[in-house]
Amino acid sequence: MSVSTKHRTLWRRCLALLVLIPAIALAGPTAPLGKKLKIGVTLHPYYSFVANIVGDRAEVVALIPAQANPHNYQPQPDDITRAMTLDALVVNGIGHDEWAFQIVKAAGRGATLPIIQANASVALIPIGGDQGGAKVVNPHTFVSTTAAIQQVFEITRRLGELDPANAAAYRQNALAYAARIRALRAGFMTRFATLDLSSFRCATTHAGYDYMMQEFGLFVSAVIEPRHGVAPTARQLAHTIDAIKKANVRVLFAEKNFSLDLAKPIEAATGVKVFALSHITGTAYSADEFEVAMRENLETLAEAVEFTQR
Amino acid sequence: MARLSRTWPGDDANGAIKLVRPASGRWESLTLLLAALAIIASVTGYVLLRPQHSGPPTPLSWQVRSFDGLGAVDQAIHSALLPAGEEIIWNNNDTGGWITLERAQEIWLPPFYRDAFWKTNGEVHWQLILPGGHLPHVGSVDEHEDAAAPRTSEVSQATQGQGATVYYGSAGGAPGQSAYLLVIGHAHAGVMWANQATIWVHPDPNAPYPGIVKPESLVGKGWRQVIPYDGTREVERIKGNQP
Repeated sequence: MSVSTKHRTLWRRCLALLVLIPAIALAGPTAPLGKKLKIGVTLHPYYSFVANIVGDRAEVVALIPAQANPHNYQPQPDDITRAMTLDALVVNGIGHDEWAFQIVKAAGRGATLPIIQANASVALIPIGGDQGGAKVVNPHTFVSTTAAIQQVFEITRRLGELDPANAAAYRQNALAYAARIRALRAGFMTRFATLDLSSFRCATTHAGYDYMMQEFGLFVSAVIEPRHGVAPTARQLAHTIDAIKKANVRVLFAEKNFSLDLAKPIEAATGVKVFALSHITGTAYSADEFEVAMRENLETLAEAVEFTQR
Repeated sequence: MARLSRTWPGDDANGAIKLVRPASGRWESLTLLLAALAIIASVTGYVLLRPQHSGPPTPLSWQVRSFDGLGAVDQAIHSALLPAGEEIIWNNNDTGGWITLERAQEIWLPPFYRDAFWKTNGEVHWQLILPGGHLPHVGSVDEHEDAAAPRTSEVSQATQGQGATVYYGSAGGAPGQSAYLLVIGHAHAGVMWANQATIWVHPDPNAPYPGIVKPESLVGKGWRQVIPYDGTREVERIKGNQP
């Protein structure tokens, strides 16, 4: 073989390679190389938070059925099966979803499942009203806007650590979601701006709304339930009714799905007007559930404040 | 009929008693005693040395806890400053800039946004002090200059070279209200999450801008660092050091 023939062969091979390389690249998989994270959540608001943070870059899995009451939930076998397949679990962790840890333990994931404490960086506040002189942590950080945003940021930060390839996208999504929550709040703030909030006094059946009240500069004078999810005794009820009368409370916020019955005797004894707020526990998980429920809550709060101005 | 023998086992043929020692050398009693002592010692040791559930952090003399050391208004402003600080830091990581007070109005960012929250929480006068070497943020959102608050140029001059960005809130009118500092230490590490925010309060709502925002200087001027009682600490309190 002559030298020129060798060169021609070499050139042909190089040319073939040049043609083949893009062809091979184009024939490769188009789907992302990293697998999608499967992120478990314990409560309805966390489903909305995570769904808005991850978009379509990860899968959001509710740990328990949508209709379940988180206050007294008993873990089911299906929950354990779900927990076995998760890559991370987002929890409230401060008294609202203790059953999640039983599920994780039963699934044998106690040492391997990363737990994202949504409240890790939220400044907790005590339950309002008279708690016998004690300051008891209020775990309902998700019934709020500012504390909700803080949780969105905390979840985003932790998810970014677990899934660095999508960290920037998660952060952009979180900021956009936070802006939407703030816009929602701002709309009601405009409405509140014309009202005199200084004399507003309210009571609540369930200690679930202190964070939301704080954001509007409002305070709770009395809470009917002596402890989270516990009905008061007759004596405790009498004491609370006394406190309501002394504080000149005109509004009682009951829980939409749980404690309306508890509100009736108090309404009869004190003449307060009952309004129902949502604990953000619906019948189906969805990305927009938190915004829908909070809009309703803020609407109810505005109506209650307007009622006291009449 | 068999005749009963009067010889006991161990007696020799002459009737003398022969003691037969147990193969273990009679250590059973001593072993049992030692085992009992070991169990008692172990149980006592566990009771005395078992991990204690940690309580809420005890603030040092120059610190204050958000949960039970702040009044309702200060608590509300502190709660709003925490996520605001996070967003400000993220924004800086992405753009290299700082969220101005005008921008805070556009994006409804509490506690700077002038809404009902701002109104009911004392109408605090906020100023942004950029890191030394930069010009101060000129536009306070106020139309008027508050007499009690220092001019931004004076403030900027005082912080030259410190490398911290500060959101300074003063002149709040709510009873018992404090003055506030959101201090963002800017780390030029070129990586995400390098910035750190701390929040400080001063019992005098009209406390002048401290000039130097290093901790020792702030403490000397009566500022106290706010320790958030957050979910991490609450979980530690409830469960020890579990997740």
